[in-house]
Amino acid sequence: MKRILFNKTLFGMALAVLFLGGCKKVLQEQPRATYSPDFFTTQTGVVGGLTEMYAHLRYIYGQGYYYNTCEVGTDESTYGQSADQNFLVMDMTGQGVINSNTSRSDVIWNVCFTNINTASGVIQYGSKAGVSAALISEANFFRAFDYFLLVQTFGGVPLDLGAGVLQFNTKPTPTSVRNTVPDVYTKCIFPDLQTAVSNLPVTARLTGTVTQPVAKLFLAKAYLTYAWWLKNPNNIPTFPDAARTDPAGHDASYYFQQAYSTAVDAIENPGPYGLQPTYYDLHVGSNDRNNECMLYADHTQSSQQYNGASLTFSNGAAPDNFSYWMQNWNYPVMTSSSTNGSWKNVSSVQRASLQGYGRPFIRMAPTIGAITNTFADKTNDSRYDGTFQTVYRADYNLAGIAGPVYNANFMPVNPGEAVLSFLNDEPVGTIDYSNSVYKSSVGAGVLPGRADFVINPQGISRIVFPGLWKISNYRTDNGTGLGNPNSASTRPWNIAKFSELFFIAAEAAIEGAPTSAVTGNYANDGTAYGLINVIRARAGKWKWSVAANAAQVADHSADMIAATPVTIDIDYLLAERSREYYGEGYRWYDLIRTQEWTNLSTTYQICGKTYGDHTPATYTRTITPNLWLRPIPQGQLDAMQVSASVKAAYQNPGY
Amino acid sequence: MRKFTLRNVSVSGILLVIAVSLFSSSSLFAQDTGDLVHGKVVDSGGNAVSGASVLNVKSGKGVSADQDGNFSIRAVKGQTLQISFVGYQPARVVYKGQANLAVTLFRENAILGDVVVIGYGTQRKEAVTGSVASIGGNNLRQVPAPNISAALQGRLPGVAISQTSSQPGATTQIRIRGTRSLTATNDPLVVLDGIPFPGNIADIDMNNVKSLDVLKDASATAIYGSRGANGVILVTTYKGSSGQEPQISINGYYGVNKVFSPFPMMNGPQFAALRKAAGMYLQQGGNIQLGADESLSNNFDWQKALYRTGNVTNEDISVSAGTKRGSYSYGGSYYENDGVIPTQSYRRLSLHGAVDQRVSKYIRLGFTTFNSYSYTQGSQVGLYNTLSNSPLATPYKADGSIKYVIAMPLDQQWVSTKKVLDSLKDTYLSQQKGYATYNSVYGEVQIPHVPGLAYRVNLGLNLYQINKGSYTAVGVNSTNPAAPSTASSGDSTGTDWTVENLLTYDHSFGKHQINALALYSTEQTQISSTNISGIGIPADALQYYNIGTASQEIDVLPGNQYYSERGLKSWMGRVMYTYDNRYMISGTVRSDGASVLASAHQWHTYPAVSAGWNVGNESFMRGVTFVNFLKLRVGYGETSNQAVAPYSTLGVLSTNPYNFGPSNYATGYYVSQLPNPQLSWEYSKTWNYGVDFTVLKNRLSGTVEYYITKTNGLLQGVTLPPTSGVNSYVANVGNTQNKGIEFSLDGTILKTRSGITWDLGVNMSFNRNKITKLASGVTADQTNWWFVGHPINVIYDYKKTGLWKTSADSAAGYENILQPGGNVGEIKVLYTGAKGSNGAPTRAIGPDDRQVMNADPDFIGGFNTRLSYKGFDLSAVGIFQSGGILISTVYGPSGYLNLMTGRRNNVKVDYWTPTNINAKYPKPGGQMSGDNPQYASTLGYFSGSYLKMRTITLGYNFAKWLKQFGIPQARLYVTVQNPFVVFSPYHKESGLDPETNSYGDQYQAVTTQYQHRLLTQGFNAPATRSYLVGLNVNF
Repeated sequence: MKRILFNKTLFGMALAVLFLGGCKKVLQEQPRATYSPDFFTTQTGVVGGLTEMYAHLRYIYGQGYYYNTCEVGTDESTYGQSADQNFLVMDMTGQGVINSNTSRSDVIWNVCFTNINTASGVIQYGSKAGVSAALISEANFFRAFDYFLLVQTFGGVPLDLGAGVLQFNTKPTPTSVRNTVPDVYTKCIFPDLQTAVSNLPVTARLTGTVTQPVAKLFLAKAYLTYAWWLKNPNNIPTFPDAARTDPAGHDASYYFQQAYSTAVDAIENPGPYGLQPTYYDLHVGSNDRNNECMLYADHTQSSQQYNGASLTFSNGAAPDNFSYWMQNWNYPVMTSSSTNGSWKNVSSVQRASLQGYGRPFIRMAPTIGAITNTFADKTNDSRYDGTFQTVYRADYNLAGIAGPVYNANFMPVNPGEAVLSFLNDEPVGTIDYSNSVYKSSVGAGVLPGRADFVINPQGISRIVFPGLWKISNYRTDNGTGLGNPNSASTRPWNIAKFSELFFIAAEAAIEGAPTSAVTGNYANDGTAYGLINVIRARAGKWKWSVAANAAQVADHSADMIAATPVTIDIDYLLAERSREYYGEGYRWYDLIRTQEWTNLSTTYQICGKTYGDHTPATYTRTITPNLWLRPIPQGQLDAMQVSASVKAAYQNPGY
Repeated sequence: MRKFTLRNVSVSGILLVIAVSLFSSSSLFAQDTGDLVHGKVVDSGGNAVSGASVLNVKSGKGVSADQDGNFSIRAVKGQTLQISFVGYQPARVVYKGQANLAVTLFRENAILGDVVVIGYGTQRKEAVTGSVASIGGNNLRQVPAPNISAALQGRLPGVAISQTSSQPGATTQIRIRGTRSLTATNDPLVVLDGIPFPGNIADIDMNNVKSLDVLKDASATAIYGSRGANGVILVTTYKGSSGQEPQISINGYYGVNKVFSPFPMMNGPQFAALRKAAGMYLQQGGNIQLGADESLSNNFDWQKALYRTGNVTNEDISVSAGTKRGSYSYGGSYYENDGVIPTQSYRRLSLHGAVDQRVSKYIRLGFTTFNSYSYTQGSQVGLYNTLSNSPLATPYKADGSIKYVIAMPLDQQWVSTKKVLDSLKDTYLSQQKGYATYNSVYGEVQIPHVPGLAYRVNLGLNLYQINKGSYTAVGVNSTNPAAPSTASSGDSTGTDWTVENLLTYDHSFGKHQINALALYSTEQTQISSTNISGIGIPADALQYYNIGTASQEIDVLPGNQYYSERGLKSWMGRVMYTYDNRYMISGTVRSDGASVLASAHQWHTYPAVSAGWNVGNESFMRGVTFVNFLKLRVGYGETSNQAVAPYSTLGVLSTNPYNFGPSNYATGYYVSQLPNPQLSWEYSKTWNYGVDFTVLKNRLSGTVEYYITKTNGLLQGVTLPPTSGVNSYVANVGNTQNKGIEFSLDGTILKTRSGITWDLGVNMSFNRNKITKLASGVTADQTNWWFVGHPINVIYDYKKTGLWKTSADSAAGYENILQPGGNVGEIKVLYTGAKGSNGAPTRAIGPDDRQVMNADPDFIGGFNTRLSYKGFDLSAVGIFQSGGILISTVYGPSGYLNLMTGRRNNVKVDYWTPTNINAKYPKPGGQMSGDNPQYASTLGYFSGSYLKMRTITLGYNFAKWLKQFGIPQARLYVTVQNPFVVFSPYHKESGLDPETNSYGDQYQAVTTQYQHRLLTQGFNAPATRSYLVGLNVNF
């Protein structure tokens, strides 16, 4: 018995020794489902860092609230009937003020620096990890790209994120010091883009990756923008304070010349890029990623995971591509009648996942001026037709509703036929907007003998207006139904197009850059007139009419060229840019670069917020000098751990 | 469901019958033999316990004690008598021929003579020097609750239990003496029968709980080191005791749940009036615009069409017994709760067992095991559509068939009615199955020749697995009838081991008592999970069980996969010394090493010491007869917290997916969190002062405590400004402080000779929390809503001061300057800027006008009362809170239920119109911020004060009818849970239960408005009121 006891005790003690020993690894860590930042220094990590350069674009382009800052408050757009504060303040018509909380330029502020840091990491670790210079210079491109966007929007921004100028930051830095505008251009944007031009291949590594011609486009645009900043014709303030002199000793005309020659160089050596045959081809969803589109934030309908957004429903947050919702009106409210004796509402135009339709948000609306002045020529110039959805067609069959339905004048409308048309011109007769017999539900009018309801150009309001066909969604998986109209767009969002090279060179030429004849596919005399006419000639070519929803082959190039003024001034160039890029998020930047914002956008016209209001009113914007730079976002100020006075000095003046 | 439940009731019924017949068979043939033994039953204060049951376990015969506690029963020498009474711990006495048996029954939660579990041992309550609050299992079960945490609400001072979800099976948030950590966990450590419990507290079967002890101050928790920084909840389960006759306990209840109060949404006419007033959805001419499915003749109640009557049932049976050299207990239970929202349900099956065996004079071995299987369903059904659907639409087509989608002027929404959900059985589901097993084994060796010295090894082994799956068939929950089917599935596994080596020494000599303990322990936890999802499941029958068949897409998102491992090594020593039951002192030193901290900072050592003085035992107190017991205590201790996520020191590289062209996919990387090689412990220093007393012939007992805890080196996720290029990093920055007063009082208000007893217990806690320092010495971190000098739980927002009632009001108050673009009837907020010489503000309302508002209550507490007469007992438990802010996202902007535009249905509010200028809510369709009225966030803040009844129970002990069957206790009861709210401004306005039901980032349309830590009331499942009938039988 005693032996047993002893053995059992011994056993217990042995057990104890067993448990006391071992387990040395208990205090060591090895993550297995996540990467630690060390991974970033490997070759796979660096290449992943490059992918992030592209992925980050989705958080800017397609983000509807940032999009609003580029359009509302310009001559292109104003706020729509359902606009909230995000849009109202941007209109500068007394509906609230733009400040560090209300401005939505925070979108780029919150995205760009993270990507700048990633780019610096790629540049820093790339060659050691065995990544080629061609690949690394994609990071140079994007670092410059982000700084270019920031410097235009906010003025001078910090080049040192905490670890030194343009260094990859691994140090928690709750402070920040802003550099001046010339610092940002000359220390980062120009050298980085020059590196990119030298090292990048002419053809893309993967679909949509950046190339030498893309880098040239942005270098030319950066030169152009900096030249304007140096010139400062309207004495617009900058911040932080800096003299309008170039550290390298050059002047504005030098940079206009650089912009001209860089753009012309890219036109003459386009690589795989070029102009599409027609404006329609450029924007039709089935032809996305065509060779005119040089840079885009890509999306796909074939993988929800890599699309980064649900294919069925979107909440309207990045990285979803939801910008086009903003200037889309609530067309599904439109009604026809199910009987032709008395009016009985039936929803004849359903919400559908078709290009030109999609999800309505009514946050923004085009100004009447954009429709009637910018796009004054709607017959020769295919760009009005290729920009707006002006005719809404019956698709009730897709919702399982039997037809025909009866519309204006109790005339029958079959699927595919027009229910509502925005007229190109003011009609000869008087439109009956009473809606007493024929109830459109959207305050649209009736003209004798027409089955469709109509709205005249001067009758465009904040609640009923033509939608944006060119940037709206496009799906091929709708089957026989309405598809997924509540999802975000799965199309790529175009950021830069080959056509812009012509505009950049022309703008530089207008500002005095010496010109020379352009050779190659797009040969012309190299003047602003010659360059712009390449674009206008293409705009005269028709293949398809979106309004008629039918083929329309025509070549009005000669008419277009004939209408071009021989001497092109900056206002004409800006109008032409608006015709080419309407609603694509270029406008505010074009206007502040050329300092024509106040001049072109101070007044606009639109009808009111209620259905049936077709009386245009004129609105006057108050564009004060401080608004030319957007406020530093409150999130930045809140997170900086510095004194209140340092925070105040960090903010742009006037906010 | 109902059928299933009834079957369970009958199962336990059958068990009962079998058990009764087994026992009665022996009693039927028992002879009236033996001596007539006389005795008296008294309580710990010497008062007679009238009506106590006295049972001869062998013969099965029982009698009741009379009014003076006297009884007479026949017994043969060596036979065991069991004496029991409701509210007291049963006692067992072996009849050895005593002339007069004196039996003392101790109350379940008695102060005196009671034993408290203090961690690695027990201590007489009298000798405890730290801050420990205890509650007995029976007392806890006064509130028939789904789990321990829910039952604890309002029961113990310093223990704040907040509801975080109202869905079946949901657990609650437990905070012991407030919140001290900003980003590290504030959850207390749960220790189950001595072994740290890593699982969900809901996995612990409440019926098996014998006692629950909460260690609150650092001197008490020091023994658990860094694990115990947020307090420790020690759960002790029933075990058999040596030599005990088998005892069977059967409990069961069944009840129904009804919606406490529907969300106060507008009805058809109210909604139509709102849409008209807002003016945003009007036809030409000014009539309201109707969506394709709306009609002014409709007035549909979408909530009524969704809710059902839920049910709740719990059945459990357990057996415990002792042999000469060991003991065992085992049992099982089943809990089921079907929520009021169709498809929401929770079921749990638990099994537990414990064996103790002395294998030799010196060695004891034993093990315990707890196993549970839970099954949760129905998280796919949210309430948003139901609440926001227009009451002007109905879910029926003209022919009476179901409509799945309705169109309002701007929105189309899926319809979730009971009919729709019932029609989608098996094609629209979300399920979670959890299996958990918690096991511990111990071996104890008494060191020969050294009395009182023992070595013990505890080995804990736990495994928990969760399998989640959901399936949504084609077109379900989508406005697109052709939307492809989707499925997702996730598996999560956690394993956890603990080894503790303990050396204990217990010795008494003369008036000295000493207890010493040394510990070395190691523990490690590993958790991993995988999640996959697919689009285009070919057949509904596959549900989520074969996502490999997905025809369109299979996603394995990098962000949804998880792995972590954390380890902790500890050395600890504790000595407790008592002299003459008058002076007590306890000292602890513990050293912890944690894997989650930077390698140079992994170890930290901290001391704790506490002392107590039993004043009542001093000779000079002998004359003071009204004081039965008086003890003063003081303690100081340091604890620490390493509760950061594993790998926090290493930084994080995040991923972003991208497509180069339609079908060339890639993943991007970027640094989202910086490494911090300096990451070290967050540690707290606590002083605790306490007084325990019992007075007035033990009729009134209580505890008062004051504490102050200072926490330094807070582990904090610091949000960096965007210009740093990285989102955040985890660091030790900032300090917090908690101080407070707690008291609890338990008294017998009435006790008559006729047998009426009325007990009342009250507890209250006053905690004052504040941040005393933040990163880099700044006084405010606006991003995270942290402000020096303010509590962690604050709201940082504009402060509503009223409405701009009239245009005269607007003009006089300079609305045009303060709120440009604003309108009459808009919310007016506090302006803090300068004013010009004419009194006009110099700028518009802006970020500088945001105010810091304390969201913490002034005090919280609870009360319980019990009235008994003969076999009847009536008890009630209530809770209350005074002050603080209740954030209701139902009324605030993030819920999207108070848009005030008439776009979707709106919560019923008293809004401004030209003829109702004194309204609380602004003019519909006025100036907007996003989709909501400007400054609408100010509409979501309500006074947090309330007083509500948790349960009322009426019971009747009918054991006397069953004595012949040898059943000493049998009680039938009816309970109403959540019967009514006595007082609450929020309840008064909304009719809703004022308790929170969501974390700050849940159950809202927009989940980024509030920090996760702020509990809110959102559109989670509605609170319910339950009616239960239950049975407890012991024999």
